[in-house]
Amino acid sequence: MLSQPLTVGVIANPASGRDIRRLVTGGSVFDNAEKASMVFRLMAGLGAAGVERVLMMPAGDGVSSGVIRRYRNRGHFLAGARFPELETLDWTPTGTERDTVRAVSAMCEAGVAAIAVLGGDGTHRLVARECGEVPLCALSTGTNNAFPEMREATVAGLAVGLLVTGRVDPDETGIVRERSLAVSVDGGERSDLALVDVAAVASHFVGARAVWKPDEVSELVVAFASPSAVGLSAVAAQLEPIRRGEEGLHVRFAPPEEAAILLDVPLAPGFVTRMGVREHRRLALGDVVELSPGSGTIALDGEREFARTIGDRVSVEFATGPLRIDVDAVMAAAGQGRVLTLMKELI
Amino acid sequence: MSTATAGSPELTRDELLRHYRVMRTIREFEERVHREFATGDIPGFVHLYAGEEAIAAGVCACLREDDYITSTHRGHGHAIAKGCDVGAMMAEIFGRSTGVSKGKGGSMHIADFGVGMLGANGIVAGGAPLACGVGLSAKVRGTDQVGVAFAGDGASNQGMFLESLNLAAIWNAGCIFVVENNGYAEATASIYHQGGVDVAKRADGFGMPGVVVDGNDFFAVHEAASEAVARARSGGGPTLLECKTVRFFGHFEGDAQTYRGETEVEDARANRDPLIRFEQQVTAAGSATEQELRAIDDEVRASIDEAVEQARAAPEPLADDLLTDVYINY
Repeated sequence: MLSQPLTVGVIANPASGRDIRRLVTGGSVFDNAEKASMVFRLMAGLGAAGVERVLMMPAGDGVSSGVIRRYRNRGHFLAGARFPELETLDWTPTGTERDTVRAVSAMCEAGVAAIAVLGGDGTHRLVARECGEVPLCALSTGTNNAFPEMREATVAGLAVGLLVTGRVDPDETGIVRERSLAVSVDGGERSDLALVDVAAVASHFVGARAVWKPDEVSELVVAFASPSAVGLSAVAAQLEPIRRGEEGLHVRFAPPEEAAILLDVPLAPGFVTRMGVREHRRLALGDVVELSPGSGTIALDGEREFARTIGDRVSVEFATGPLRIDVDAVMAAAGQGRVLTLMKELI
Repeated sequence: MSTATAGSPELTRDELLRHYRVMRTIREFEERVHREFATGDIPGFVHLYAGEEAIAAGVCACLREDDYITSTHRGHGHAIAKGCDVGAMMAEIFGRSTGVSKGKGGSMHIADFGVGMLGANGIVAGGAPLACGVGLSAKVRGTDQVGVAFAGDGASNQGMFLESLNLAAIWNAGCIFVVENNGYAEATASIYHQGGVDVAKRADGFGMPGVVVDGNDFFAVHEAASEAVARARSGGGPTLLECKTVRFFGHFEGDAQTYRGETEVEDARANRDPLIRFEQQVTAAGSATEQELRAIDDEVRASIDEAVEQARAAPEPLADDLLTDVYINY
């Protein structure tokens, strides 16, 4: 039997980082040329650590073509660098979220050792829904995100590479079991998953998707409350700063005049607003929240995802989630174990 | 403490039905022109808008009659959504003297200043500087009128388009540049015609917000356009709104479309049809019933039948008309 080249999957979402918050708050567009550049730098790290092949999702809007162009031209400026072989999944993208779902499924089938994801909370949600036990390296392409991190892709590539090659032992460090929010409508007629938050929104249509009007959010469940993030997770953090992997939080909002607590929160980049809270409670793993009946939309990870009517019963379970690569922990372990240190006498 | 703008109120049932009627009229108009063109009775070129209805309808739903739009070679949808008379448009396409431009312009010169439609345009990106003119004019006259320029992804590469972004930005004009990105400049896919395939990002370079929405979802377009219009009206300056979309027909009628994937159009019609998506959403929300929408379909079909019948019966312009309407006295 031929041995498979050690492969890492790469999902770079061309649609992330350009929603309506650029217009209504102070967000800026995250450049697709920069996403392509990030993938290239990620590959530099992966290659240096010993990964042999990258399997990439075909993506429009200059992402795939930008990566391929940089990869082909690399000899002109990075002549000595070791890069993995680049292979793009062989189909035409539709420009919809179906591309991500299809790509993750194909990557898992191809036996990738890890998947690096460049996108926002929404992109990571789609990947997490499909990836099973394949660990994710979560990289943010925008300023609105809580689940992925803003970090230099070269280092992220190195960390992923060190882990999947076994140079840093994944059984000892570097892989974290995340939490998730399992959403079920009418006892399972429809099910979905969120990584950061589930919100009940008054707007009747999914529309431009992003949640940015504070008075439209009536209820919120978060898998973690990050004080330094922007968005609904940050709202929860001002009530109870809950660390990742510990407890969740359920919040019911109220108009300011009826609220028990008033909060000033960064709901979107450039947009600090006041929200009123009626009540909130912590959630332990396995707890199930039944959302108050209502019509409108349900937002998953900050994006309105589906409409609900007054008769729909929506429940949210605080559950276990995907495996995530902790880049800081891997790089710290590499330093402590002198994994990247070359003994001068051996060179 | 900041307050986000509130340009997008919930739509009433009547408004929803009206917007559906606009989209259905565009679709029916284009499907019919497609069939009529095949008879050889329509002179010149036609570029059909089917598949992109949610953009024209979603944007124009946010405008007043005294706002202005500038259009493109693919302009039928914009004209219908801004309120041009469908019968006069059909007559124009057939080259008849009852046409909106007296039958002398054809598909690419449909204009009706009375409803704020400054014209389709055979010059790629030609509408963008005209919208800057609207913005400047409104500013000088002290009105809150808005100028919207529709353009395609191909037009977004034109110097004229980029110069217009610059002008609108430095004038802080009430302009909205709506890029209908259907992935092709004529027969050339975006990756072959754009150095940076990222139209919305270009707005950043001129200091204006750039937003991407699903151009096949009426509600996404409407929500973003509402905000952009509210911003423009209140002196907040220009916006670039990139609407990702797909056209159901070729670049022009007669285009063999050999540059498209085998199942591309079929897939788009099955999964991205803006009318189907609108219907699914409003019926699920209980805002309209299937019967109400079918009744609108029947009325629209009858109005298009009538438009074609009248256009075919109308006279062509005479030789004496050749030199009229050429110049205008100010």
